[in-house]
Amino acid sequence: MKVIVNTGTSIIQAFYEKKGSTLKNEYRQATAVAFMDLRDMQKLSLKSRDKIKIKSEWGEVVLYADVSYDAPHEGIIFIPKGPWANIIISPETYCCNVPTYKGIPAEITKTDEEVLLVSELMNKVYNKYNLNNSNLSEKPLYKKKGDEQ
Amino acid sequence: MIEKPIKDYDKEVKNCSCSYCGNNCDDITYLLKNDEIVGVRHACRIGASKIINDQDQRLLSPMIRNDEGILEETTWDVALDKTARLLHNSTRPVLYGWGETSVEAIKKGIKIAEITGSVIDNQSTICHGTSIQAFQNVGHPVMTLGEVKNRADVIVYVGTNPMDDHPRHLSRYTTFPEGFFRRNGRQDRTIITLDPKYTNTAKVSDKWIQFNMDEDYLLFNALRMLLKGEELEEKEVAGVSTQQLEELIKIMKNAEYGALFFGLGVSQTLAKQKNVDVLIQLIEDLNRYSKWSMLPMRGFFNVSGFNIALTSETGYPYGVDFSRGYPRFMVGETTTIDLLNRREPDFFMAVSADPGVQFPGYTIKHLVNIPTIQVDTHWGPYTELSDIVLPSTRVGVETEGTAYRMDSIPLFMKKVIDKPKNCHSDEWILTELYKRIEQLKQEDE
Repeated sequence: MKVIVNTGTSIIQAFYEKKGSTLKNEYRQATAVAFMDLRDMQKLSLKSRDKIKIKSEWGEVVLYADVSYDAPHEGIIFIPKGPWANIIISPETYCCNVPTYKGIPAEITKTDEEVLLVSELMNKVYNKYNLNNSNLSEKPLYKKKGDEQ
Repeated sequence: MIEKPIKDYDKEVKNCSCSYCGNNCDDITYLLKNDEIVGVRHACRIGASKIINDQDQRLLSPMIRNDEGILEETTWDVALDKTARLLHNSTRPVLYGWGETSVEAIKKGIKIAEITGSVIDNQSTICHGTSIQAFQNVGHPVMTLGEVKNRADVIVYVGTNPMDDHPRHLSRYTTFPEGFFRRNGRQDRTIITLDPKYTNTAKVSDKWIQFNMDEDYLLFNALRMLLKGEELEEKEVAGVSTQQLEELIKIMKNAEYGALFFGLGVSQTLAKQKNVDVLIQLIEDLNRYSKWSMLPMRGFFNVSGFNIALTSETGYPYGVDFSRGYPRFMVGETTTIDLLNRREPDFFMAVSADPGVQFPGYTIKHLVNIPTIQVDTHWGPYTELSDIVLPSTRVGVETEGTAYRMDSIPLFMKKVIDKPKNCHSDEWILTELYKRIEQLKQEDE
């Protein structure tokens, strides 16, 4: 189904981000969500917290679907800003320095794939350090001074 | 879930300034027990979460990536030396962030940018940069939030949802407080929200006007036409009926004192600064009939402070390039996102900012190929991409400093509790970096 993606702050996402718990499941539950109009959800026979894959010109990402409490906005989905939304938004600044965060055309389909945690997502999408995904979790991965392994 | 009020505390610190959004509420009370913050009074949900904070993801020691790609704790000297060397040896460094630190630290950052020939830029580049361009194009009918509180009877929110991202904006400055000329608070005011969504702000407004996404420019131009007495041939503009627009213009024209607030819904959509241009012109036109002024809803507590500090030092508000030895500012050329999209920088340092949360994926992909430094308080998405991590302290809680509110009013932020043992303030980190870079420069000569 074709939709337009709108991103922005939601109070729950900002709460977990500012609290400093971005690696945890609570941040994923609040941020990796596409808030949809109920009518749109019915068209794809989606229930609350089903998983959907969103694909735009710039990338694709798996998110939870949920009923929007800001409806009606048929044809528009809202994703709280964060590492998940970043993958599909347009970096195009049109020479105005601000990327286009709002109003991105995208396509959504139902999926069974998992929604990734922040550490897994950053490693899978950008793969800077070739880390093994199974070592990544809700806890920061680092070596303490004097740790021998 | 109903939480009980906190009674188990031994010290109260009053009149602290919050370190979350551009509201900079300076009436916050911290509740302390054994020199730890256990509660916060008056703050909103997000402000309180930022002040109390989760400690299990706190960055506590400087770290450097080892050969396996895992961060390893190290000493300050090693981490700072390595950072200074990387910065000194790079040809196109970018110093980004600064929205959540004090003006004192920002001044040190500007000095570093100057001696290293870096680009220094802040979060304006991804949020209200376009608004600043529009102010330079058209002008800025400015006001302070105190004026709104005491005088405004019509308040318009365009493309912003303060109930979610500036939660106390309505209760502290605009809608609910009683003002000198607005004795009955909420009853004396008309609140109008223009937004494609039925946001939480729209829910408490008197009027909600839903318009189509990416058609802001059309909508504001139609409003200007109606204000000038022209007739619209269309029955509907940007999904809004002409009749609704006429009613809106009537309310705006008859206001005694009008205040308009606009957010990223205007500055981040397709027409970008052109949206803000025409919105400013609308406010200018309204001033023929009544008193109107406007403000952008600035996000971080000191994002406006960076613009002010950088303008006073270099003459330009953000995205300043020192590579030629003197400050240059060119929208679309010396700004972070454009630089990264062109794959230009060879060094990237983020101070109190998380590009992992803020930048588009395509832009972040360049950070994979270059050395990246993080100066921040908490482990975030950007830490997963950082080569060196320097743990800093929280301004307004563990460090004192100055910040500018969204209406450019400077406020002092107190130090209330002690910092974690091995963390240092942004100002200290940047001063140390500056010293080391100067030394490297002398060795070169």
